[in-house]
Amino acid sequence: MKKASGISSEPSAFIMSVLPPVRKDRIISQLPKCFSKGAALHTEDGFHAKVKTACQEQRTGTVGFKISKVIVVGDLAVGKTCLINRFCKDVFDKNYKATIGVDFEMERFEVLGVPFSLQLWDTAGQERFKCIASTYYRGAQAIIIVFDLTDVASLHHTRQWLEDAMKENDPTNVLLFLVGTKKDLISPAQYSANVQDAINVAQEMKAEYWAVSSLSGENVKEFFFRVASLTFEANVLAELEKSNSRRIGDVVKISNTTSNLYATSKKKQPNCCQ
Amino acid sequence: MASQGSEEIAEQTEEAEATHDGDCLSISPAEEMPADGPGDGEPEQLLLPWDRFSAWLHCICVVGFDLELGQAVEVIYPHHSKLTEKEKMSICYLSFPDSNSGCLGDTQFCFRFRQAAGRKSSLGCFLDHFDRDAPVCLKRDQGHFYGYVYFRQVRDKTLKRGYFQKSLVLISKLPYVTFFHSLLKLIAPEYFEKQEPCLEAACNDIDRWPTPYPGKILSLPIMGVVMKLRIPTCYDKPGTSQLVQSTSSDSLVSVVLPTIHEVDLFRCFYPVFFHIQMLWELVLLGEALVVMAPSPAESSDTVLALVSCIAPLRYCSDFRPYFTIHDSEFKEYTTRTQAPPSVILGVTNPFFAKTLQHWPHIIRIGDMKQTEMAKQMKVKKLKNLKTLDSKPGVYTAYKPFLNKDDDIIKQLQKGVQQKRPSEAQNAILRRYFLELTQSFIIPLERYVASLMPLQKSISAWKSPPHLKPFVQEEFMKTLEKAGPQLTSRLKGDWIGLYRQFLKSPNFDGWFRNRRKEMIQKLEALHLEALCEEDLQQRIQKHTEVETVDLVLKLKDKLTQAEREKLPVGAGTLAKLQTHIDSIILSLPEDLQGILHKPATP
Repeated sequence: MKKASGISSEPSAFIMSVLPPVRKDRIISQLPKCFSKGAALHTEDGFHAKVKTACQEQRTGTVGFKISKVIVVGDLAVGKTCLINRFCKDVFDKNYKATIGVDFEMERFEVLGVPFSLQLWDTAGQERFKCIASTYYRGAQAIIIVFDLTDVASLHHTRQWLEDAMKENDPTNVLLFLVGTKKDLISPAQYSANVQDAINVAQEMKAEYWAVSSLSGENVKEFFFRVASLTFEANVLAELEKSNSRRIGDVVKISNTTSNLYATSKKKQPNCCQ
Repeated sequence: MASQGSEEIAEQTEEAEATHDGDCLSISPAEEMPADGPGDGEPEQLLLPWDRFSAWLHCICVVGFDLELGQAVEVIYPHHSKLTEKEKMSICYLSFPDSNSGCLGDTQFCFRFRQAAGRKSSLGCFLDHFDRDAPVCLKRDQGHFYGYVYFRQVRDKTLKRGYFQKSLVLISKLPYVTFFHSLLKLIAPEYFEKQEPCLEAACNDIDRWPTPYPGKILSLPIMGVVMKLRIPTCYDKPGTSQLVQSTSSDSLVSVVLPTIHEVDLFRCFYPVFFHIQMLWELVLLGEALVVMAPSPAESSDTVLALVSCIAPLRYCSDFRPYFTIHDSEFKEYTTRTQAPPSVILGVTNPFFAKTLQHWPHIIRIGDMKQTEMAKQMKVKKLKNLKTLDSKPGVYTAYKPFLNKDDDIIKQLQKGVQQKRPSEAQNAILRRYFLELTQSFIIPLERYVASLMPLQKSISAWKSPPHLKPFVQEEFMKTLEKAGPQLTSRLKGDWIGLYRQFLKSPNFDGWFRNRRKEMIQKLEALHLEALCEEDLQQRIQKHTEVETVDLVLKLKDKLTQAEREKLPVGAGTLAKLQTHIDSIILSLPEDLQGILHKPATP
């Protein structure tokens, strides 16, 4: 005689935390090319040999650092949100909607067979939110400085944006990208007349230069793949170095509190752009 | 978990655990859910602006001090949030310390207040069901709001009063105390520096969060970091944590919260830890209890610790982590014309020492920063509590039902001597309470499960059978063979404890909930039985009128099942719908048109 069970057969809670695989169009197996050799972070053909070997041997497992924070800054209405939306959601909204404070997207990749995520923090360009921006800048590993190819002033303001963003970050650990948007709105002739100015700015700030159109999608995917690949590469290299030095010293130092970590990173405040 | 505590569910959870070697699931930072997460079939994309925000918070308030008005709510964000004048008044008084305790610097505490009568929930159905799988103690609080406070008081000569005094307060129906305090730690210091744009940005961040579904690992971006947490479900094995931080290297970018609601029991009970077992009994029985502490932080921590020490049982009476003389229930709760109510109050104002002198059980907490051990082993007589500077301790005439467990006291004392980390002490104490509560509740679970009718008594063509009634003496009889002695070595008057408990609001709340679940289960089983029937064949023997009646009844059942989210097997509802459709098709055409119309709820 079976008792009616008072228990429902719910799916186990554990299954839910298993993640779906990375989207097929987010798999990176080769280092994407830079946009302009004149202003690139590096012009190597492929990933660093050490990184490739580490990934092959799956030594990145010990790296345990597979997420990077990316902040996107730039003048009001240059198209920061549109750029991210084109890449993350493959949409373009012609209507302008100002970002309040900050928007956030998470994008998952697989680079050389290793899962890797980018946290994309899309900050507001409005003056009103400048005071809070520094909160959001902390701990960035890549900074994307955006300007409008049709608006020269927005290019000139990029230096200021960079300076603000760098106040919260360690310059030796941050990759910089200078991106001109709205390429579809500018004639090829105009573009080639202005491009050198942008490249000069990029060289000066040691950033990699890109020109894109979020409306047509031109170069958008290529650009973000480049961002993902270079931050991934930098990450793995840094971690390999750390684990090497650890092996030599044979002592693992464990920092005990997060607040201490924060304190040390704050001390090394950069002044490169001043 | 209380509601699911029968053996079968325990087995089920263990099975699930076993497949993972009983290991904690660790998530590497890369394995993050996208902010939107898979919707679990829920139409998250249909949410309107502020819906996501409302799933977490009712609003954010800034409470300041105006020299002419006194405490005042300066800002409510989002601006469209509604609070009645009475609610605003409560928030004002409860967001500031009410005694001259100093509290210089930053302090965090929490309070709870009654929501004004007649408030309508505009989001009703959407918010009702997302926490269906949450443990009973983590469900949305239907009649109350929680206020989570970050109070800053610093000297400022430029101000007339000489001090800057302000509180940032999160108002929510969710009892996730640890989570909201961590959230405030991120938002409040920024807010005090950068003012309103910071609040606007924070609210905007929150409005992009996924809804707080239990069981999923949630990634919540806020103020430039991502908080990662998991809301427990009622199917989790109690006492285990599912989320651990795998690396600390990304601490600037992510914050992993191992718990969203648990307070540090050891730290909170430290000043009175000789009496923890008696306190457990007092809370279990819903006795009137007041905590007198030097600051709101200490009073709210201690009250929350008390309420949570009987987990997974839900404490069903009212409790106020921080209660002031301005509270709207002040008269109701302090009157001397009636016996003290079944509530737990946390107070700091010395005035209460006199007002609540007649209360049967008083816990006095000294300054927790002084790490003096509770020296007084003995329970104090109430008459000694006259003056303001009475010593810390428990003042009561209560005689515990159970014999004192010296082992746990010794174990904790040893820990203190050996300087065992507070987290370890907390884990020991938490486990102790959990085992005690489970030993107590398992016999009740077992007896209540036996009230379920037999499976064979469920027939598609009869209404679902009734549950058998709870008969106290019958239950008491089961204790002889299957009482708490099976799982606890504690001796004492367990029978007396049960008798007292059955009269308490905690039993009432627990039993109601359990009963509701069992009735729903019966309905679900009945529905499943119906689906298995060959309805086509059945209706051939019946008249048209009877067939129409059947269709209407089935439709009713279907709407009920959907509305109450009955625990039916997968596909049952779809099957029932197919049945309904095919019966309708067998009817004359004119009737078909009428019956195909969607049922109006």
